[in-house]
Order: sequence, then structure tokens, then C-alpha cells
Amino acid sequence: MVEVTELAKVFRVPEREAGLRASMRALVRRRHRDVRAVDGISFEIGLGEVVGFLGPNGAGKTTTLKMLSGLLYATSGEARVLGFVPSRRERDYLRQMTLVMGNRNQLQWDLPALDSFELNRAIYRLGPEDFRRLRDELIELLDVGDLVRKPVRNLSLGERMKVEIVGSLVHRPVVLFLDEPTIGLDVTMQKRIRSFIGEYNRRYEATVLLTSHYMADVEALCKRVIVIHHGRILFDGPLARLGEQFAAYKTIEVAVADGAADLGRYGDVIERDGDRVKLRVPKADTSRVAALLLNEQEVIDLTIEDPPVEDVIELVFAEAAEPR
Amino acid sequence: MRAARVAWMFFRLGALNELQYRANFFVAAFQSMLSVGVAIVVLKLIYSHTAELNGWSEAELLCVMGIQILLGGVIHAAIQPNMERLVEEVRDGKLDHALTKPEDSQVLVSVRDVRIWRAVEVISGAAVLGVGVARLDTEIGLGDAASFGGLLLVGAVLLYCFWLILATGVFWIVHMWFLADLFEGVYQTGRFPIGIYPSWLRYSLTYLIPIGFAITVPAEAVTSRLGWTTPVGMLAFAVALFAFTRWFWFFGLRRYSGASA
Amino acid sequence: MSTVEPLARQNPLRAMADFYLTTIRTQLQTQFQYRAATYMYLIGMVAEPVIYLVVWTTIAEQNGGSVQGISTGQFAAYYIVWTLVRNMNIVFTPYGWEWRIRDGELSAALLRPLHPIHYDIAQFAGGKVIWVALYLPIAAGLTLVFDPVFTATALEVVVFLIAIWGAYLIRTMLLWLLGMVTFWTTRGSAIFETYIMAELLLSGRLVPLELMPGWAQTLSDYLPFQWAFYFPIQTLVGDLSAGELVGGLGMQALWTAVGAFLVWVCFRASVKKYTAVGN
Repeated sequence: MVEVTELAKVFRVPEREAGLRASMRALVRRRHRDVRAVDGISFEIGLGEVVGFLGPNGAGKTTTLKMLSGLLYATSGEARVLGFVPSRRERDYLRQMTLVMGNRNQLQWDLPALDSFELNRAIYRLGPEDFRRLRDELIELLDVGDLVRKPVRNLSLGERMKVEIVGSLVHRPVVLFLDEPTIGLDVTMQKRIRSFIGEYNRRYEATVLLTSHYMADVEALCKRVIVIHHGRILFDGPLARLGEQFAAYKTIEVAVADGAADLGRYGDVIERDGDRVKLRVPKADTSRVAALLLNEQEVIDLTIEDPPVEDVIELVFAEAAEPR
Repeated sequence: MRAARVAWMFFRLGALNELQYRANFFVAAFQSMLSVGVAIVVLKLIYSHTAELNGWSEAELLCVMGIQILLGGVIHAAIQPNMERLVEEVRDGKLDHALTKPEDSQVLVSVRDVRIWRAVEVISGAAVLGVGVARLDTEIGLGDAASFGGLLLVGAVLLYCFWLILATGVFWIVHMWFLADLFEGVYQTGRFPIGIYPSWLRYSLTYLIPIGFAITVPAEAVTSRLGWTTPVGMLAFAVALFAFTRWFWFFGLRRYSGASA
Repeated sequence: MSTVEPLARQNPLRAMADFYLTTIRTQLQTQFQYRAATYMYLIGMVAEPVIYLVVWTTIAEQNGGSVQGISTGQFAAYYIVWTLVRNMNIVFTPYGWEWRIRDGELSAALLRPLHPIHYDIAQFAGGKVIWVALYLPIAAGLTLVFDPVFTATALEVVVFLIAIWGAYLIRTMLLWLLGMVTFWTTRGSAIFETYIMAELLLSGRLVPLELMPGWAQTLSDYLPFQWAFYFPIQTLVGDLSAGELVGGLGMQALWTAVGAFLVWVCFRASVKKYTAVGN
């Protein structure tokens, strides 16, 4: 479905220093810097996959999505979606895809969303009955039945987001590019949208490429994760393996009878909550340290865990932190 | 006076800011020359068909146009940007930022923005006025010149009041997108001495929209048509209008509640 | 391969008609909501022709009733019909392209399988219906005050009704072309203002073209401007022969086609430039 080969995007950015004299000089002679927003990435996504694109701000996620949706053309490399070259923006391609960006409004402001959906029906050339059936299914799935009759400007941010998402799916695209779809929403709304995307993917075999800051989005929806930083792919594989590959440690949560005991010599103390202490230990040492604790301390409770994915990601980024 | 100091401070800041963009100045100068050029073409066209328009000669009409362009420059540079910003901020609920500052709110919303490069229009207008005055048959006495300057100032104040009253309307009617178009359209009536308009239009131009006062009266001063009753009346009207504007502003402000979603 | 049933598609012509009708319908609703604000805008707009009208009737009266053969009543007719034509030929402002690009509206439009100009054409067309309806009372008022004089045959009325839409399309194309300038320079306003001034003098917007000097009239024969102002007004107010009426419609069609071709070429180039950097 999605084939990306050595895709790269370089931006020329004018350099400007602060100060009046520098701005005067800048008027005469502009200096430029090349920013490699995407630096030669390759991956393939198959039919029906839901892939999470993870990375800090400026990593190149949004730039990649824009290239895949045809809004940006690449500096080098190749991208194909559904066999089409996105930057050609062929009608047949546009009819089968959608790009949803968190804060953008695509629906008519003063009218009920239903009217905007009708417009989309005509734009995407859908037959009326098929369209209405699909539209009603989507409305029911996301439970926006009473919202679609109100003018969009009267809806709250979360309600608007839900209705916008229905609007972008009403032509039943088979490829979805979602850029931070749950940004700025409250927890209930986030969960709602997550389950909706999951359901859409199941029902219509849609391929989903999703970027997010929120691990919860990724954990809920994506079996596969691509980690990107400074425009390069650092990891591409099952979410479960992310921890294995990058996390060289485990956490031991232990409750001891002697609450004041100093457990620092067993490992890094990362948290202390009453008599519960969380220790970080190198993976290889886990059983040895656990055994030591059990022998030398009066242990009430002991749990060995993989570190939370956020922490792993943080480490991944910290490792790759030097720009090249 | 504190208000004057605040105004000067914002002016300096705005000007310094804008002056960095040299290109804006050239664009503004070009546009101003273009519109002066068209105005001259219109003038020539009119006077190719007649010797005087409602008693005003070509040179005298040039004076009227010069004043209209000059005051237009003042409006575009100093008044309109502030009023449009006010309307926008009320619509987006962002006016609170200005209101929590320890300055008189009317002063603040009136002086914080300036498009310095549109002051080019003031220069063009002055140039047109200068040419017109040079070609006049009558001489301008010192009295005429002094009253001209004073009346110009009063005229600017009248136009400011008018804009602020309109802009204050935003506290009641949120959708004021037509303001600039409405004003520009009606302001064009000032290109000609208001005597040529039918009486119902003339009266609205004088009282409802102080264009007649702001432009034609100073023009009358320059072309030696003025007695003393009109300037006195204009001054009295300006004082009354300013008082009303200030009262209306605070009245509207009380009604204001953050208009965000 | 996918196991989901494909969606039924509509034939393109039918879909386009649906799109236009839906957009016009929704625009009618929206514009109706904003009728008070639209009235204020119309008043600002009407000021322009009223000024010209007053100036030229004043000159005419001073000259014994007419200027170059055009009587005061005929001036009144010219400028009152002018306003109706003006209502019809107001289109998306070239200044608006800057916001479109900045707000992401352009990107959203580029993601849809429809050329964005269709949306502009349909949207403004819907608005025109309301605008003309709101304008008619103003026209009635102006008629009472200024006493226009003209005769119109049935053919002239029919051609007029077509010509105003021709004017609308021509100006849509021209101003879209102007708007494209925004992709290439940030100093577009200089170019917009130059266009407006040229149009003012050469389209019949300022004065009936007969009053302009000879060289200006010749120049305007080679330009599209008069077909968006002067020609539609003259179909009703002037004394054009049947041949001239139909020929005029043909010229409108020609200029619309030329404009459409240029828009097609320029938009492709502009989008190419835009997608190099994006938003």
C-alpha cells in the first residue's frame, strides 16, 4: 500500500541573527542553511496495517505525512501510495486517501456538518444511497448524531474534532494519514477517537499511518511503530520489541519492611513512595539484584517490570540527540 | 499629558518596527503615486468637459483632493489599524490583554498600532494640496492658513471619533467585516466638495459621517470661502462628538464580556 | 486484496452539477444569515457610483443638460445599472490568497479531487442571489432620487441577464490570476492596485467609455475589462443592435476561455512552487 524508498526533504532556511545591524545586513545579503527535515527514510506498509509514527517535535513526522499525501514534494527518493506518486495529486489517488491534521478546520463554519458532508459527497462523486449509508454508519460509530445538525461554530473543540473526523472519512478512504488526531482533547474524547479509528480500520480494511505524542494513542492502536528522529528512522517494528531493543534495563518495584533503608546500592532509585521503592537495574543484573534484595532485606512485595514505553522512547531520543 | 506620552511611545515602537521593512515603504509609495495618478486623470477628465464644478475651479478641486488624500493617509496609518485590531480582538475575546494594562483603555486601543509606511499618503496628499494652492487665483492670508491647520486637526479628530463609534459597535454586533469597505466607500465622497451632493446626502455626510466637516471645511479655508461661523460650529461639534465617543466607548466596554467559545 | 465492497460512483457531470447546486444552496443560507452586515457592505459599495453619478449630472446640468450627448437621465441609468453589474462582478479578492495559504485552507483544497476554482465560482454565485435581492430596494430608492431614463427591449433584457454572468466569470478568472501572484511574491499588493487602477479607467467603471479619450478607448478594445463592466451595462442602457448584442456575448465567452486557460496554466505552476515548500 505504502512504499517509501530513501525519501528525503531538505529545506533552505534563511539565517538571521538578532540585532538591528544584522537585520540591515540581511536585507542586502541573505544567508541560508539547509535543514534535512527527512533524511533518507525507507519503509513499507501493507493493507490494513495501523502504524504509529513516533518522534519528538521537528523529527520529520509531519513532513513525511505531507509528502505521502502530496502536499509536499520530495527532494530525493521515492514514495508510492496505492501505486500512485502522491505529488502528482491524481484525482483517483485523492479519492482514496485522507489527511487529518489536528487543528485544521475543513468544514463550513456557519452550517451544520451534514451540509458539509453533502458537499464532500459531490466532490468525491459518491452515489447518494451508498454515501448516506456510510455517513450514517460513521455518525453512529462516533456518536455524533445530535452534533451534525448544529452549525459547526456552535460546537466545542472536542465535538468539532469528532465531526471533522467524520467529514474526512465520509468518502471512505482506504489510506488514512492522521497527524496528531487527539491533540488538545480531553481523555474521554481521546479514547473515543482511538476506538473509532480502530473500528474504521477493522471494518473497511483501511491502512492507517498515525503520528502522535501520546503513547496511549500508539499503544491502543498500533502493533507496529516507526520511530523517527532528526529525519531518520531509528526503529521500525512491533511495539513490543521496542523495549527489547532499546531498553537495556528493567525496573524492580519493591516494598520493604524497613521503610528508611537505603536501597541505593542495588540500583538507581527512580522513585520513592512511602515504603515502596522503584529501582532501575541493568537488564543483565535483574535476577542477581532481585535475589540480593530478597536475601538481604525483609521484602514485603517485589515486582519486576519492563520500563514504560515513554521512558524507552525518551532514551531512544536522548541517544540520538546529537544532530548530524 | 500622559495620553500623549503613551501615544508617542507606541508610535516610536511601531515606527521602528515597521521601518525595518524597507520594501513596504516602496510599495506604499508606489500605491500612493498610482492612486494620485488616477485622481489626476479623473480631474482632467472632468475639467475637459467643464470649467468649474459647482463653483469650484480645477485648482480648488485639487486642494480638496489633496486634503482628502492627506487625511486618508492619517486614517490608514494611525486610525484604521487600531480600529480593525479592536474589532478583531473583541471577536476573538482577546481584548482582555489590553484592558488589564494600567492605561486609559480608550487611549490604549486607539494608539497601539501604526502603519508608518502609509504615512507616505500624507506626503502625497500634501504635495497635491501644495500644487493646488500654488495654482489658486486667490492668495492665502495668514488667517486662512492658520485656520486651515487648526481645522485639519479638528477634522482628523472628527474622523477618529467616527471610526471609534463604529468600532465600538462590535460590542453588540460581532460581525463587522464590512467596516473597512464601508468606510472607504463613503470616504470617497470626500473627493469632491460636499456642496455638489443632493441635500439629504450632504446632511448625512456632515453630521452622520463627519466627512463634510473634515475635508470640505479645511478646503474652504484654503480657498478663502470661509466665514467664522462654520469653523466655530465645527469646533463645537467636534468637542461634543469627542465627549459622546468617550462615553459610548466606556458604555460598550461595560457590556463587553469575553466573547470566546 | 480488499474484501470490502467498493462504493458506487456517480457520473462526473452529474456530480459536478450536484456540487454546484449544494454549494449554492448552502451559500444562500449563510449569506441570508449575514444580511445585515451585507447591507452595510452594499452601502459602502453603492457610494462609488453615486459619487460618479452626482459629479457627472452636475457637469451635465452646467453644460445645458448633457455631456457629449449623454443626458442626466442617461447618466442616472448608466450608474444605476452599473451597481447591479458591480454586484455581480465582485469575486474573491486577490488579497484573500494570503490568508488562504496561511490558514491551511489551500492545503485542504489541494487534498480534494476538485479544482478549487469551482468552489469559488459556486460559492460566490450563491451569494449573488441574496446580494441582488438585497440590492433591489436600494436600486428602487436610487431610481426615485435620480430619475434614470432608458428603454429596454425583450432581447436586451435576455442578453443582459446572460451578460452579467459573463461579467462574473471573466472577473473570476482575472482576479484568480492576480491572486496567483501571491505564490510568487509577498509584494502582490502593488500589482493588485495597478490592476484595479487600469480596470477603473479602461472598463467603463469610472465613466461610460465614450467619455474617455480616444487612445484609452482603443486600448480598452484589446483588453478584457470592458466586457465585465461596460458591455453588460450597455446591453440594457445603450442602443446596441442585435448583432452587437450577440457579438458581445461571444467576446465575453472568448475572454472567459482565455482567462480559464491562463488560470489553468498558472495554477499548476503555482501549486508546483507551493508544494516545494508547503505550509
